[in-house]
Amino acid sequence: MAGSLAHALRSPRVLLALAMVLGLGVCAIFAGFIAPHDPGEQNLLSILTPPAWAPDGDPSFLLGTDSLGRDVLSRLIYGARTAMLVAVFASFGAMIIGTILAHIAGYFGGAVDWIIGRLVDVWMSFPPVILSLILMVGLGVGLDRVILAIVLVDWTRFCRVLRSEVLIVRRHDYVAAARLLGFSHWQTIVREILPATLPLLITLFSLEMAIAVVVEAILSFVGLGVGPNQAAWGQMIADARQYVYQSPWNLLLPIFAIFFAVAAFNLLGDGLRRTLDVRLAQAER
Amino acid sequence: MLALEARDLTVSARIGAATVPAIRALSFQLAPGKILGLVGESGAGKTMVGRAIAQLLPPGFAITAGALLFEGEDLLTMAPARRRALLGRAIAFIPQAPMTALNPVLTIGAQFDEHLARLGLKSRNARRERAIAMLTAAHLPRAEDLLTQYPHQLSGGMCQRALIALAFAGNPRLVVADEPTTALDVTMHPPILHLIAEMQRQHGTAVIFITHDLRLAAQLCDDVIVMYAGRAVESGPARTVFATPAHPYTRCLQLANPAMSAERRTLYVLPDQMPSLVQLQHIAGCHFAPRCPLVTAECHREEPPQVAVTAVHTVTCIRAADTFGISTAGRSFGPPALLEQPLLRVENLSKHFAISRGLFGAARTVAAVNDVSFTIAENEFVALVGESGSGKSTIARLLVGLEQPSSGRIVFDGADLTTPSLRNRTRRAASLQMVFQDPQSALNPRRPIASIVTQAMEAGSRHASAEDRLKRTKELLAEMGMPADIAARLPGQLSGGQRQRINIARALCRVPKVLIADEIVSGLDVSIQAQLLSLLARLRAELGFAMLFISHDLSVVRHLCSRVLVMYRGEIVEQGPVEEVFGNPQHPHTQALLSSVPPDEPGATWPLLRAN
Ligand SMILES: Nc1ncnc2c1ncn2[C@@H]1O[C@H](COP(=O)(O)OP(=O)(O)O)[C@@H](O)[C@H]1O
Ligand code: SF4
Ligand SMILES: [Mg+2]
Repeated sequence: MAGSLAHALRSPRVLLALAMVLGLGVCAIFAGFIAPHDPGEQNLLSILTPPAWAPDGDPSFLLGTDSLGRDVLSRLIYGARTAMLVAVFASFGAMIIGTILAHIAGYFGGAVDWIIGRLVDVWMSFPPVILSLILMVGLGVGLDRVILAIVLVDWTRFCRVLRSEVLIVRRHDYVAAARLLGFSHWQTIVREILPATLPLLITLFSLEMAIAVVVEAILSFVGLGVGPNQAAWGQMIADARQYVYQSPWNLLLPIFAIFFAVAAFNLLGDGLRRTLDVRLAQAER
Repeated sequence: MLALEARDLTVSARIGAATVPAIRALSFQLAPGKILGLVGESGAGKTMVGRAIAQLLPPGFAITAGALLFEGEDLLTMAPARRRALLGRAIAFIPQAPMTALNPVLTIGAQFDEHLARLGLKSRNARRERAIAMLTAAHLPRAEDLLTQYPHQLSGGMCQRALIALAFAGNPRLVVADEPTTALDVTMHPPILHLIAEMQRQHGTAVIFITHDLRLAAQLCDDVIVMYAGRAVESGPARTVFATPAHPYTRCLQLANPAMSAERRTLYVLPDQMPSLVQLQHIAGCHFAPRCPLVTAECHREEPPQVAVTAVHTVTCIRAADTFGISTAGRSFGPPALLEQPLLRVENLSKHFAISRGLFGAARTVAAVNDVSFTIAENEFVALVGESGSGKSTIARLLVGLEQPSSGRIVFDGADLTTPSLRNRTRRAASLQMVFQDPQSALNPRRPIASIVTQAMEAGSRHASAEDRLKRTKELLAEMGMPADIAARLPGQLSGGQRQRINIARALCRVPKVLIADEIVSGLDVSIQAQLLSLLARLRAELGFAMLFISHDLSVVRHLCSRVLVMYRGEIVEQGPVEEVFGNPQHPHTQALLSSVPPDEPGATWPLLRAN
């Protein structure tokens, strides 16, 4: 595992993606230090200021202001914090639930597998965005609710893909051998199967972060996201729609931010898949 | 005119910046209607010769010198169109893995039709007639029905018959058969070999027969070439070469093979293994020198020249005169088993598997194991033999608890193990261990060797300290005759033979009372097999354990075990001391198994091959 991680770090694709993710992470963590203004501070004297490089630009608002006179740059930076919080915690939650169920289903098989499989089927028969919208209506707005909704919707993604991987690993005689040596079921799953599914797990986690960013943006866009007091990219797009002719930048910048984050996580996921996937790597050799 | 002649054929591989010859200056002459055997262990370059003829070399390999004359024309320099016209028609191939050689999405009929159309048979009906005639000649019943079937609906033996029929359909003048029986069940070997020999006689075809089985080559081939690390080390008429081997390698291989009829003797254990192409670069002089029992300083100086033993028998060794002196000491039997006290008693054991047949089909059960009873005494090595699918592996899995029996009891040391309980599981783990057939699958590729061999010490709640595990690893590796520095490596960095030793070492970590070994030497080279068999005999003497040895190789069974159980379709049809059962087999299946082994003596006739 350590060896293949080192191998992954030599891939330019992974390195570029990591640099992009690192940039987002720094914005999220140090938003308070980096952002020039408070993201909620309204400057009613300078609303819809264009970016600083435009003729009427104001150098104190580098990327201009929105219709309430809030600094766009600061809102983008704080929006990154919201997006990253959702991406990390929602993906983590979905991963934990999906991974545990996938390993139980794939390892024990039989009736257990059947029940978990049907549960996933029923769950996946709802379109994910609709399901999360319904959940948000029920749960109410807020950062924790967004995370919960994404976890509840997306654990199936992990469960379905990992289960088939577990089935493949389980067929190896070394899994049976571990049982014969006296390993309990739990020990066998954690020490023999999980290390083999880990590369796929990491890859899925990275791809899920991209999905979570998009879902959070959609929910915020329709006003069912993190709530009005917190800056979010989806909200910025919603706000900027009415003034798209006066200040197109207000619409383009958050769209670009979402695009950047999604590209970063997809690139990372894809790069990790290529370098970590043991079977794929062996086949290419 | 010769069917095929090789003149100093050289195939080289690019390894980094260097080129290493994988086949070096190979010359032979094959007359029409004759069978030439290429024998040797894996890595000797046998398959590469076949690939050179087919002009299908793996990437990085190329023919760098020599000539390959098919009926006088050089295959290497002729126009590609002319060569394409010959390959598949005048020169046909019988592959090693029949199941994968046929196209899975086409019926047998479609594949024959395509092939016969390429051979120039114009009329559809004529092609069909010819296909049926060829399949019937290959002793396949109901050839008409067969034409509509897909490869997966046939057994491996039937696929191979179909492929042989396909190969001979174009009246080829040369057939290359690469280990055509290796992937098949033992009981299928004689009929397939018989078919190849029959077809060869009928069509007067010249055959290149590639095999690792010296006894088989002695029976089937007119001439043989023994290959080692890309060189022909000995060649001549098959019976002469094997009756009076002149090269130490040929002699050692013969002595590494357990005998079927002669007195049991210790096996000759060739150290190490065939050098890889990378290692070959660093061996000066004779390639066999690092493993040769007759090696002298002079052997390292330069490659030995080819010398004639007789007019037709040549050898590449400077000490060929001494070869016949290589021998092994007489057999030392292990401690006698205490037969009065059975350690493991299996009583009326049965296992039924439910197989559902589609959506509406009624659920059916197959009896994989049916009312089986036997005992194993302390320190006793018992063999379980039978064709594949007879239920051997199921018995192994029942014994270690990977499957639950449908009925019957497994009594170990007075306690019934079949009632599932934690106590029984712990008892089992401590006293019954299993070695799986395929080390590739049985060893976790992510665990270092040290962690694999002492894996038993991390089971349950008590954890052994790192020092204890390291200490045990050192002991086990020493026990297995392996260097201590492989402890940190991963299974993927070991050779096949080394992996199988690690596989055995893991089961012996907490020395069990009974070891269950499922086909653990199948598919390994003869010299590696001899290493493992001697290792098992030595370990029994040092550690003391009983073994249920599952195998289909009767000569190995005869060498290692004192008692044998013969399985047929889920039942034990015959059991008793090895000498008695093999000397006077009662059940027809036992008789069939025994007659499928070629005789030890190169001069003796093997009735199965000569019949009809
Ligand atoms: N899990 C299973 N489900 C259904 N049939 C099985 C299963 N395992 C083994 N069998 C069947 O039981 C028979 C005996 O198989 P096996 O014990 O593997 O034979 P052997 O080891 O002698 O080759 C075969 O017909 C096989 O197809
Ligand atoms: S030449 Fe020397 S090393 Fe080579 S086989 Fe003969 S005796 Fe052995
Ligand atoms: Mg088997």
